Amino acid sequence: MTGKMNRNLFLMEIKRNTLSLTVWMIAITVLVSVTMAVYPVFLENQSKILGMMSLIPDELLQFKGISDFSDFLSVLGFYSVNNIIYMMVLGSIYAIVLSSGILLKEEYNKTAEYLLTRPLTRSEIFLSKLAVLFINVFLLNFVTALAGFICLELVRNTPFSTGAFLILSLYTLLLNILFGAVGLFMSTLVRRARPITTLSIGLVLILYFIFTLSKITEGISRIGYLSPFRYVKTNATSPDYSLDFWHLLYFIGISLLLIGLSYRLYIRKDIYT
Amino acid sequence: MILKSANGELITTEYVLPPDNRAAVSSKRSSMETPVIDITDLSKYYGKTRGIEHVNLEIGEGEIFGFIGPNGAGKSTTIRILMNLIFQTGGTARIMGMDVIKETKKIKKISGYIPSDAGLYSSMDALEFFRYCIRFYQVKNGDQRINELAQMFDVDLTRKVSDLSMGNRKKVSIIQSLLHNPKLLILDEPTTGLDPLMQSNFFELLRSENRKGMTIFFSSHILGEVQKLCKRVAIIKEGRIIQVEDIETLRKKQLKKVFIEFNGRVKKEDLIIPGIEGEIGGSDNIQSFIYSGDINMLVGFLSRYTIINLMIEEPSLEEIFMHYYK
Repeated sequence: MTGKMNRNLFLMEIKRNTLSLTVWMIAITVLVSVTMAVYPVFLENQSKILGMMSLIPDELLQFKGISDFSDFLSVLGFYSVNNIIYMMVLGSIYAIVLSSGILLKEEYNKTAEYLLTRPLTRSEIFLSKLAVLFINVFLLNFVTALAGFICLELVRNTPFSTGAFLILSLYTLLLNILFGAVGLFMSTLVRRARPITTLSIGLVLILYFIFTLSKITEGISRIGYLSPFRYVKTNATSPDYSLDFWHLLYFIGISLLLIGLSYRLYIRKDIYT
Repeated sequence: MILKSANGELITTEYVLPPDNRAAVSSKRSSMETPVIDITDLSKYYGKTRGIEHVNLEIGEGEIFGFIGPNGAGKSTTIRILMNLIFQTGGTARIMGMDVIKETKKIKKISGYIPSDAGLYSSMDALEFFRYCIRFYQVKNGDQRINELAQMFDVDLTRKVSDLSMGNRKKVSIIQSLLHNPKLLILDEPTTGLDPLMQSNFFELLRSENRKGMTIFFSSHILGEVQKLCKRVAIIKEGRIIQVEDIETLRKKQLKKVFIEFNGRVKKEDLIIPGIEGEIGGSDNIQSFIYSGDINMLVGFLSRYTIINLMIEEPSLEEIFMHYYK
């Protein structure tokens, strides 16, 4: 990948995406905060709630990501179990929606005729938009993780591992970036200009469904490896909770591969509007 | 084929559609210095579908060059290759000696482009859009340039571009192409949506910019507007250049479509008028034909009949191809 970003394009893209980023940040922050606000109530009534939960089939609990009730009692376990759907699934949806449209919207909105006839190389366009994608995904993760951290501090009754929290947040960021790379790659494969938002959201949901299905069904547990969610370690309360090297390699490797392929495809792509 | 020149002189010409334009159509000018646009054997296929085939073209500095052909002939494909929006399957294209792929950035610094149909950033007002465009170039007094052009085209800079009418959107498109004073202007069907007055102002502006040295490559499917503006013209049909001609030569071959409604039956055989091209169509009392002769001679001939209606209009390109180039 050669070339550099274009400042004018970069700033315009940041501006164009600010509103949507803000809405997503607020939505996820509100969801995380509301969920964490329940934690003190949950602790007060833990015997009743645990009693109720013992009636729920194991498969259903595993579907929710609960493997051990004790996970649920610690504040980080509660955060990890209840917020995975917001931070990971919604964050990934945001990333894939943004990335699948960031290049393609110029084509289906017919503005590519203006952008691509400015003194810019394809490489500069790609890198400027990629930078915006990274920054937006990072900001979403940073703000929502910060909100999560503040909530944890506010509602905790016992200390929790900040290291484990950071690792969990890093996994979330890596997962979101991976889906960002998937969206970018998909958009460069599209020949005729049309939005692929529905397809992108569907892909995230299907992969999440595959992951959860593989967890509750013995026979198809291997199919879970197809889903990036499988490579996120969510058992943050476990004493040996750490960043897995191979998982890290998986996220970074696949993301770099897809971004590299997207770049190669985009710089030689016929742009139709 | 008998043609009549503007001064009434009869000219005999023969035209045979070349089987392969590479050999037969002299679209390259031998004595030209580094051409502004130099297209050699350019082809583009969309899968198995033909876009353009073996297009050769040279356009010199300071020319206003017309590029004409029916819809789907390959005009936009050629232009989109020049602007590096799409990549050719074969051949080369150079602008001011620079390869359109490898040196696209340098080319775009000195060229402007008006697309046939483009969207605008709906969240922006016109001023924001122009400022966004102009920041890609090093233009001194950018706002002054924006105001000058906006005044010339009567564009309200405060209006959201999404609220603009088709004509005003076209004006915005024209302005953005001129903001950085390009040396080459490439126009793809630029007059669509412009009212006649604005069209006339636009042509005057193009002439004025051309006098200052701007080279203009003007693509259109309307022969009349190309004739008004251009000095030379290339005709493209089914992806191939079939003719490159000076506009004066084309003018001498000026064609009209004539409809006559007679009061009573008139046989086709009775209409022996020099300048009728091809077959006469119509029924007993209504006849139509393509005419390349002197209008006065035609009117003089028709004066012997009682006529209910007479219409003389510009033929469509299809009709020209059908009646003239076959």
